[in-house]
Formats: sequence, structure tokens, C-alpha cells
Amino acid sequence: MKFRKDGKNPVIDQGRDEIRELAEVLGLYGSAMRHLAERAPARPFAAGSGPARSFHLRLLLAPALTALIAIGILVPMYSYSHHHNVIAREHAKVAEQTAAAVANVDDTVLMNQIDSELSQDVPDALQPLADLSAQATTSTTVSEKKNASHE
Amino acid sequence: MEEIAGNELAIEKREQAMLELADFDEVVRVYRPRILRFLLSSLTDRDAAETLTQETFLKAWAARQQFRGDSSLSTWLTRIAVNLMRDHLRSRSLRFWQKTRGASLDVLDISDWIPDGRSSPESQTLARTQVAAVWQAVDKLSAQQRAVFVLRFVDEMELDEIARTLGMNLSTVKSHLYRALAIIRERMGGAR
Repeated sequence: MKFRKDGKNPVIDQGRDEIRELAEVLGLYGSAMRHLAERAPARPFAAGSGPARSFHLRLLLAPALTALIAIGILVPMYSYSHHHNVIAREHAKVAEQTAAAVANVDDTVLMNQIDSELSQDVPDALQPLADLSAQATTSTTVSEKKNASHE
Repeated sequence: MEEIAGNELAIEKREQAMLELADFDEVVRVYRPRILRFLLSSLTDRDAAETLTQETFLKAWAARQQFRGDSSLSTWLTRIAVNLMRDHLRSRSLRFWQKTRGASLDVLDISDWIPDGRSSPESQTLARTQVAAVWQAVDKLSAQQRAVFVLRFVDEMELDEIARTLGMNLSTVKSHLYRALAIIRERMGGAR
């Protein structure tokens, strides 16, 4: 920090001026506030007076009002989300049922198809016997015819 | 010997405070302006200041049996007012939807009252602007800062008296005052 030859420093001087100005303004502020307070009309003091009670009432009412507003916002939000969930659940259920129905139809078709294929490819278990009896009947008829011609 | 004299003085002070408290109407009459001044300067809201002044005396009246006279009546009442002011500021900050305060003081109310001993109309106008800036800056201070600031510059208390009143260390009082003044100075920069 450089000092001038006359012993004065402009920075320090400026700081001092600023502090002096601040002190002066604070003094004026204090005077103004004291003046205002003196000018305020005196209220008679009575234990349990109205304004204090109304002030208490206001302090109580403020949280109550907040709670009401919160309820007013939260209840519709909850009911909306609840309704939304119910609809979503119903949608899911319908989709599930549809999928099940489709699966059932597919299964039926598949079973029918398998049944039809099985009935075509696999022969009846008594078929050979049926053939045999048919052959026996034919041979009996032929021998009877032969006997009749001999006679 | 000095210790005995000190004890006697303390007892005498205590008895005097108790006697003073016995006539509560007189207590209200004497101390009301001081409490109102403190609350008005701290809250910059006339309605709230008057209500809390009433509340201060109601609390004091309700707790008068518990007053032991360890501190002066003035200190005791100011401490009640400071606690009420702190609660009020806390509840005000919670009431975020309340943008305007009903009976808040107008800047003109404060800046209109400036002594006429100023040299020129320009300097008067400047002084008014600066006082208004201080008043507006007080609303930006924390509860502790504004209590210390108002007790120092409006009630013109000494720092140790403020420490006793607020139940703080002297160094804490100095710290709050330093920060309050820094904020005021910063705000006043715009008013120049």
C-alpha cells in the first residue's frame, strides 16, 4: 500500500467515508423506527384479549388450510391413479383371457388334428381278425358250391 | 466485603424487579413502547408487531410467578419478544402462499421521517433512499441477525447487554452483527 507524501491514503479515506456514511444512515434508521413506534397508538392490555386469540386462531388455521389443500390435491390424484390401475388391471385380465382362449382353440385344433391323423394311420386292432373271418366265410361258400356241383 | 455488597445489590435489584412486576399495568405502560419498537423494526409489519407485543405481555403475565428476578424486567420481556419474533418468522416462511402481508410498513412511512437538518433537498432524498434500503435489507436478515442488529441500532444497546438479553456469547453477538452489517452494506450499495 502506497502512502502519499501528505500522509493521506485515498483507499483508507474512502473506507472511512463509507463507514461514516453507514453509521449516519443507521442512526437515521434508528431514529425513524423509534419515531414510528412512538406514533403507533397504544392498545389497552387485557389478558386473553381478542387479537392475540385471533392470531392464535390464524396460526391454527394455517396448518388446517394446508392440510385441506393437500387433501384436495392428493385425493383426486389417488383416485385417478387408483382408477387408472383398475383399468390397467382389467385390460391385463382381458388380454390374459383372450390369450387363454386363443391357446384353448389352438389346443383343440391340434388335438383334433392329432386324433384325425391317428385314426387314419393307425389300423384297428381287430382288423386282422375281421379279414380272417371274411376269408373263412368265402372259403366255406366256395366248398359248398363245389359239393353241390358234385352232387 | 465487595462480594457481600455485590450480593446485596443483586438481592435489592431482584426485589425491585419483583415489586415492579406486581403492578402489571404499569409494566405494560412502561415497557410496551420498547417492545413494540423492537418488534416493529424486526418484522416491518405493523399488525404482526402489535399482536406480538400483546402476546409478549400476555406470556409475561402468565409466567409472572416464575420470574425470579435474575435479569431485569426489560431483559426478560425482550427475550420473550425475541422468541415470539423467531417463531413468527419461522411460521411466516412456512406460509409460502401468503405473498403480501396485510399491514406491512410502507417504505414511505419510514423514509418520510428524516430530520430536516440536511443541507440540500438532494442529500435529504439520498438519506431517505438509504434509510429505505436499510429497512428493506432488515427483512433479508436471519432472526438472530435482525435481533442483534435492531437491539444495537434501534434500541442502542451495548454489545454485552445484547449478549445478556439474547443469552448469547459476546463473540456470537459480534459475529451476527458483522454479518448483518455486511448484508446491509451490500444492499445499501444499490441505493447509492
